[in-house]
Amino acid sequence: MNLTQQIINGIVLGHAYALVAIGWTLLLGVARLVNFGHGQMYMLGAFVTWWAVAKAGVPHAIALPVAMAVGALFGLVMQRIMLKATLEQNLVSIMIMTLGFGYVLHGGAALVFGSTGQILETALSRHDIQLGELWLTWQDAAIVVAAIVVFASLRWILDGTRIGRLVRMVAEDPKLAMLAGVNVRRVYYGVFAFEGAAVAFAAGMVAPRTPILTSMGFEEVIMTFVVVVLGGIGSVTGSYVAGLALGLFTALFGALVSPAYTTAAAFLVLIALLVLRPGGLSAAPAAGAH
Amino acid sequence: MAAERVRLLLLLLTAAAVFMAPVLLGGGAVYSAAVLIAIFAVMAYGLDVVVSDLGEVSLAHTVFFGVGSYTTALLSTRGGVGSAWLTLAGSVVVALGFAAVIGLVTLRLREFVFSLVTYAVAVVAMTVAANWSFLGGSDGLRGIPLLNLSVPGLPLTARNDKDLWPFAFALLVATIYLVDRFRHSALGSAAIMTHLNPRLATMSGIDPARVRLQVFLFSAPVSAAAGWLYAYQRAYVSADVLENYFLILMLTAVVLIGRRQLLGPLAATALVLLQEKFFSLGGDVDKIVLGSVLVAILAFFPQGLAGLARPLAALSRQRAASAPTVTTLEN
Repeated sequence: MNLTQQIINGIVLGHAYALVAIGWTLLLGVARLVNFGHGQMYMLGAFVTWWAVAKAGVPHAIALPVAMAVGALFGLVMQRIMLKATLEQNLVSIMIMTLGFGYVLHGGAALVFGSTGQILETALSRHDIQLGELWLTWQDAAIVVAAIVVFASLRWILDGTRIGRLVRMVAEDPKLAMLAGVNVRRVYYGVFAFEGAAVAFAAGMVAPRTPILTSMGFEEVIMTFVVVVLGGIGSVTGSYVAGLALGLFTALFGALVSPAYTTAAAFLVLIALLVLRPGGLSAAPAAGAH
Repeated sequence: MAAERVRLLLLLLTAAAVFMAPVLLGGGAVYSAAVLIAIFAVMAYGLDVVVSDLGEVSLAHTVFFGVGSYTTALLSTRGGVGSAWLTLAGSVVVALGFAAVIGLVTLRLREFVFSLVTYAVAVVAMTVAANWSFLGGSDGLRGIPLLNLSVPGLPLTARNDKDLWPFAFALLVATIYLVDRFRHSALGSAAIMTHLNPRLATMSGIDPARVRLQVFLFSAPVSAAAGWLYAYQRAYVSADVLENYFLILMLTAVVLIGRRQLLGPLAATALVLLQEKFFSLGGDVDKIVLGSVLVAILAFFPQGLAGLARPLAALSRQRAASAPTVTTLEN
C-alpha cells in the first residue's frame, strides 16, 4: 500500500462526504430539521445526472443543474407536505415522513430508471492526473474544489448577508422571528430546496466514483450522519473538518483492514464519540434551538 | 366490570374470526398471506411499544427481527438444534443481549439523535450480514429444517404454511396478550408518564433512563420472536431480512390505525400485506404505495385511521366512558 496515495484518496473521499452532508448540516443547524430520505435524494440526484448524460446526451455541466432543479423541486414538495409538522417542530413525525419519502423515491427511481446498476461517466472522470506514482481523476480534483467553494460560500452567506441573518434568526427562535415579520415558512421552504439541490449537486459530482444503484440510499446516508454528528450538530465549519477526518479514516481503514466494513467502522467511531461525550451531543441541538 | 367482560368477549370473537378466516377462504396463498401477516404484525408490536408508549422512534427493530432469524438459522443449521423451542429461547436471549448493548449506548440520546443512531445500527447490521461469511454472507443461510415444536407425547410440526398458521396465530395472540399486559403494568404506566410528562415522572420517583431500557428490553424479544418464525417459514435467511422494507412496514403498522390501539398494528399489517399479496401493482409501485401511505397518514391524519372514526363514535355514544389514553406523535 502506498500511504501517500491513500492520503490523497482520503482527502478526496473526505471532501465528497462533506459535500454530500452540506444540505443536512444546514437543515439541522438552521431549521433544526432532519431528513432520513437524504440517501435516497442522493440516489435521485445521481440517477437524474446519469440519465441526462447517458440518455439525453447533454454535457455533465448541464446535467448538474438539471439534477439540482429536480432535487430542489422534490425538497419543496416534501416541505409542503410536512409544513404543519415543521412549524410544530414535530421531529418524530418529520423523521418518519422523510423515511417514507425516501422509500417512495426508491420505488419511483427503480420504476423510472430500472433497478440495474449504472455507471455515471463524465468527461472529467475519464482522465487521470498522474504525479509520479500517485494518481487521481480530474473528477476527484473537481470534487475537492467544489466542496471548498460550496463550504466557503455557505459560510459567507450565513455570516455576511441579509438572507444569512434571517436564516440564523429563524434557527435561534422561530416564533420571535415570526413576530419580527420574518416569513418563517419561506425560510423553511428555502432550506429544504437548498437541501434537495445541494445533495443533487453532490451526487452529480461524487457519484461518478462508484457504480450507482437505486437501492444505495439506505446505506448512503450513514456517512452523512457521522459527518453531521462528528462536526457538532449543525456547524458548517465542523462538518467540513469532520468530513475530511472521516474520509482519511475510511480510506486508511479500507486499505489497511477491509473495504467491506468501512461503514461499520465509521459507525463505531460515531458510537465511540457518543459514549465518550454523550451530554455534549444531545445538548447541542437543544442549545442551538432555544 | 361489565365493560371489561364485553371487551374480553369481543377480543375472543375477533380472535376466533381471525383464526377461521384462512380456513374459510381456503387456498395456499391465503394461508401464506395469513402466516406472513401474523409474523409481521408480531414484529411491528415490538416497535409499537417503543414508539407509542415510550415515544421514541427506534429504527433498530429490524435488527431484532434479523437477530431472531439469524439465531434460528445458525442454531438449526450449524448447531443442529432440532427443537424450535430451543431456537426460540436462543433468539430471545441474543435479542436481549443486542437490546441491552444498543439500549445502554443510546440511553442518554433523545429524539432524532436516538433515531439516527438506531438507523445506523440497522444499516451496519445489514452490511455486516451481507459480508460476514459466518452469517452466510450475501448467499445467506439455507437448509433450515421444518418447524418442530414437539414436546414429549405431543408431536407438533409444520410442513407448509397451512400447518404453520396455528403456530403463527398462537404467537400473535401471545404477543397481543403480552402487549396488553404491558400497557396495564407499572412499567407501561411509567413509560407513558415518561413519554408525556418526563418531569412528573421524575418527581414520582420514576427513573426515565431505567424505564427506557426496560421497555427496550421488553420490545426486542417480541420482534425477535417474529424473526424466529420467519426463518422457519422461509427456510432460509439472508441479509434481506434487514432491508428497509421491514422498517417502513413496521412504522406504517404502528401509525396507520392509530397509536396505542391494541389491534392497530395487526389491522395495519393485514391491510398492507393484503394489498401486496392480492392487489400488487409490481414491487416498485408497491414501494411507492407503502411509502406514500406512511407519509400521508402522518401529514394528514396524525391520529391514524382510528382518529377519523373517533368523532363519529363520540357522537353516537354520549355517555362519557373513559376513553383510552391516546398518544400521538405530537406529544
